Amino acid sequence: MEKLENNQAPAEVADNEVPLDKNVRLMSPTRMVVRRFFRSKLSILGLVMVISLFLFSFVGPLVYTQWGEIELDESGKTEYSIAETTYTVNGVTYTVRQTTEKYLKDNFLAPPSAEHILGTDNEGYDIFVRLMYGGRISLTVSFIAVFLITILGVVLGGVAGYFGGAVDNVIMRVSDVLMCLPGVPILLIISTILDASDIDAKYRIYLLMVYLTFISWTGTARLVRGQILSLREQEYMVAAEAMGYSTFRKIFKHLVPNVMPQLIVQMSLSLGSMILYEATLSYLNLGVKAPYAAWGTMINIISTNQNVLQNHWNVWVPAGICIVIAVLGFNFVGDGLRDALDPKARR
Amino acid sequence: MADEKVMENVPQYDDAVLEKEFQEKRQRQIAEDFAKPFDPDCILEVRHLRKCFPLKKTITGKVTKELVAVDDVSFKLKAGETLGIVGESGCGKTTTGRAILKLHQPTGGQIIFNGEDITHFDSKQMRPIRQQMQIIFQDPYSSLPPRSTVGGILSEPVEVHGIVPKEQVKDYVLELMDKCGLRDYYYERYPHEFSGGQRQRICIARALSVNPKLVICDEPVSALDVSIQAQIINLLKKLQREMNLAYIFISHDLSVVKFISDKIGVMYLGAMMEFGTKEDIFRNPLHPYTKALFSAVPNPDPDNKTERIKLEGDIPSPANPPKGCRFHTRCPYATEKCKHVVPEYREYEPGHFAACHMLEQDNG
Amino acid sequence: MANNDRYLSGKEVRAIAKANAREIKRLEAYKNRKAPESEFLAEMRDPSNILEIEDLHTFFYTEQGVVQAVNGVSYDVPRNAVVGVVGESGCGKSVTAMSVMRLIQGPAGQIVDGSIRFKAYDYKRDAKGNPVLKEGSQTEYEMEEKVYDIAKMPVHEIHRIRGKQVAMIFQEPMTSLNPVFTIGEQLDEVTFIHTPGATKEQARAKSEEMLRLVGIIPENVYNAFPHELSGGMRQRVMIAMALAAEPRLIIADEPTTALDVTIQAQILDLLQDIKNKIDGSILLITHDLGVIAEMADYVVVMYAGKVIEKGTVQEIFRDPRHPYTIGLQKSKPTMTLDDGTELYNIPGNVPNPINMPSYCYFKERCDKCTAKCAGDYPCMVQVSPTHFVACHLYSEEENHG
Repeated sequence: MEKLENNQAPAEVADNEVPLDKNVRLMSPTRMVVRRFFRSKLSILGLVMVISLFLFSFVGPLVYTQWGEIELDESGKTEYSIAETTYTVNGVTYTVRQTTEKYLKDNFLAPPSAEHILGTDNEGYDIFVRLMYGGRISLTVSFIAVFLITILGVVLGGVAGYFGGAVDNVIMRVSDVLMCLPGVPILLIISTILDASDIDAKYRIYLLMVYLTFISWTGTARLVRGQILSLREQEYMVAAEAMGYSTFRKIFKHLVPNVMPQLIVQMSLSLGSMILYEATLSYLNLGVKAPYAAWGTMINIISTNQNVLQNHWNVWVPAGICIVIAVLGFNFVGDGLRDALDPKARR
Repeated sequence: MADEKVMENVPQYDDAVLEKEFQEKRQRQIAEDFAKPFDPDCILEVRHLRKCFPLKKTITGKVTKELVAVDDVSFKLKAGETLGIVGESGCGKTTTGRAILKLHQPTGGQIIFNGEDITHFDSKQMRPIRQQMQIIFQDPYSSLPPRSTVGGILSEPVEVHGIVPKEQVKDYVLELMDKCGLRDYYYERYPHEFSGGQRQRICIARALSVNPKLVICDEPVSALDVSIQAQIINLLKKLQREMNLAYIFISHDLSVVKFISDKIGVMYLGAMMEFGTKEDIFRNPLHPYTKALFSAVPNPDPDNKTERIKLEGDIPSPANPPKGCRFHTRCPYATEKCKHVVPEYREYEPGHFAACHMLEQDNG
Repeated sequence: MANNDRYLSGKEVRAIAKANAREIKRLEAYKNRKAPESEFLAEMRDPSNILEIEDLHTFFYTEQGVVQAVNGVSYDVPRNAVVGVVGESGCGKSVTAMSVMRLIQGPAGQIVDGSIRFKAYDYKRDAKGNPVLKEGSQTEYEMEEKVYDIAKMPVHEIHRIRGKQVAMIFQEPMTSLNPVFTIGEQLDEVTFIHTPGATKEQARAKSEEMLRLVGIIPENVYNAFPHELSGGMRQRVMIAMALAAEPRLIIADEPTTALDVTIQAQILDLLQDIKNKIDGSILLITHDLGVIAEMADYVVVMYAGKVIEKGTVQEIFRDPRHPYTIGLQKSKPTMTLDDGTELYNIPGNVPNPINMPSYCYFKERCDKCTAKCAGDYPCMVQVSPTHFVACHLYSEEENHG
């Protein structure tokens, strides 16, 4: 026991002036959250994953400037093909082997080398560089989508939760309807419409994400509504009411800050799913279109090219790994944040 | 109908007729009382307050079943006075407090605050009134917002209501904290760092920050330890003297209510059973429920184990209160009449009201 | 930095976490060890006691430091007596009781030191630890009275006493019953667990007997679900459940705090009644001096994890010695008090039991504080054969006399 007390943080020497409550030192709320977050190894791992992806995508292209996103390696490449022809003359079979040496302008499907760290793809673009640019697109798009979802969700969920009654009913029924909509078929339709209309390939992905936002805010709205319904019954909200505060102040100074922890967790978890969505869209050729890079687009090649799927792993595996890292990273961080911010939800 | 008339000689009660008579009588009484002028001496006058909560609604929103949480409660309160409301769970004491503050819109009755009938004020009209009446809650843990510092909690109402100029807010708050026994270094701290008693002091300081005239204390000491209870009660009394506050002190603890109140109201299942000055209630309790309530309090004296007036059974659900006198299911003196006829809430001594058939008989 | 005075630095937090982890690991290993019965058998100091708690230390290893919730508590529960433990929140009265039941939530909460000796009536066991059959019987086992040291028992041996020999009644009757089972099912279960080989009919008969004992007509309640009952009824059912296993000790942790006054009076009467009917002791934990005065034979007053005064109910209420006990009694407004006076109050707050000072914990709130109080924590002084108090005021008295 004595040993124990020695191990404790050095206490202030209690003198007659110091009341006992000054003798007790607590952890500041921020430190408590930080400490809980870093206690879990997984959340540290998640944070490392997310940060390294960010550095890779946003700082990488500034450092590694050897190739651009849509810069073809035009160093040329000689492709050899061997053709065999067999024909029979007078009962004797002859086989003629013909070697064709073909010179191509683009250096495509190059293996990893010093010049191309991960080689080039079937067009001759540098895969490593495109991974970075693809990450930029994927991360930006997901962030924007999550941001929009959160704003929409907080406003609609907050209004529904705070005012209740008919407003609540309308918003929640709309969200029920949206939840019933099959997302992907409608996406395909929208994509066809976008194809028909003249929209820059670079921006169509943003439009699609706006659509995704439109059908995905329901989860956040429900979360916010539920939280506000329970917070509204808390006595400090009744006290705010008794103080005669305005509705605006009550919602935005008293309710929303108390929903923030759950909201942050929800945001980090939905970042992962948005990355997946974006990858799916690009893979289905609905999202970012060539020549612009996105992780999903980079994998898309395997759906048409058997040769690449079998023999050129370096073309599509790295993009897949990036997606996995991003989704896992955001989920780990989200789980860690939930444990840190909302101790009650802990195992 | 003819049959019923024959039966009249036998003490037989027809609930439907009685109910109709009772409602008519009550309506007359309410109309009569509403016509009376406001008492200028009183800071608060509550007349026939009624609050119902819907229990069942049809799909169109029509209420088919309701819970009468507060039924016909009336009292007057002068500035600087304390009214104690005692009762067990479900007796409507908290709802009464919140209805007066218009945190629940009353279903019926009148609330006259400071010579103004505020019953039908909307939230905009209420805003200046709110500054004059405040509330302190039972649970010091859920009544403080967890993400603001003590300084923030206390300065917000001061700023919103513009009590003092902006640059003086901090000094004002520090002075207030000192008055409520809070140390100045608490200013930067968060509520979770405090014990229940200190949190309750913060709640009191918040309520007093807007200089109210009336404070509704909803079980302010029930969640606190005995030694802290005494501190808070003394603090409330001190502040009452200094600021000439009127309190409505809601509690289930009779000894606490006795200590702090000038007038006491005893509630049971939404209705006032007995009302009078502290002396009246404690020296000469009229209603059997009041008597039982007094005798149920455990006596901290091991040698003086007096025989209790035992109340059998449980408190009925307020959603389904008994007919006639609400207390008849547990009353040791209940008669057939009590089961059917609602006793009249009458003045038996000057300022001492009660509702019981037994008293009606005694007094003729 | 101003913040440094009031918040722990990252370094300190890490140091605390490291120390905590080490201690918890050691204590958990001790808790989960395999040990022969002989290791946790003990001898009672006084054979008339059913429970002896001696120098119990139960700590909670939190991120802010070690909370010494129970810090050297000793008291006895004599046979067939009601011992009331009174104290304010955080004084360790409940933690002591939970330690007796070994219900302290690990890994943060641990019994660190001390002994809890409990006189149990259990199976006689042979050298290997198997129960010994009664001579000439295949199903009945030999029983004997023996003393367990609960604090030293490994976790997997606790079932020998928990629920069967020691039962607990909790404060919150709303949450201590399982909402998906009927009252009857929950009561029968107790019998099934503690009486091996009981049939359904036997269990039901026993449950109904218990319900009748607590003043409930079994027909109305046996098939009811907990939510259909009122708080008072549920507390009665909890008491019936505690009684069903015929325990030698019932721990009632604030049994009436959540109830209304009139219902509280009913439950107190019931407990009084039961106290006379059963052959067992009650350890009653409450903050309400009135309840203690009505129920208890012996009173233990706790403050900040320590016992500061103990004695018979007469001694504590008629002749309180410790300034805290005196203050506690004076600060409760009574029904008979004449008004006008200011209520007596003990200044200050209940201390947070982290980093406790070495002097008397009550020193800062005490109005009889002397120079001696700045010294070591006072030891227990005996003022009568049954009355003990931990205060320097009386140790001086003794020295002079």
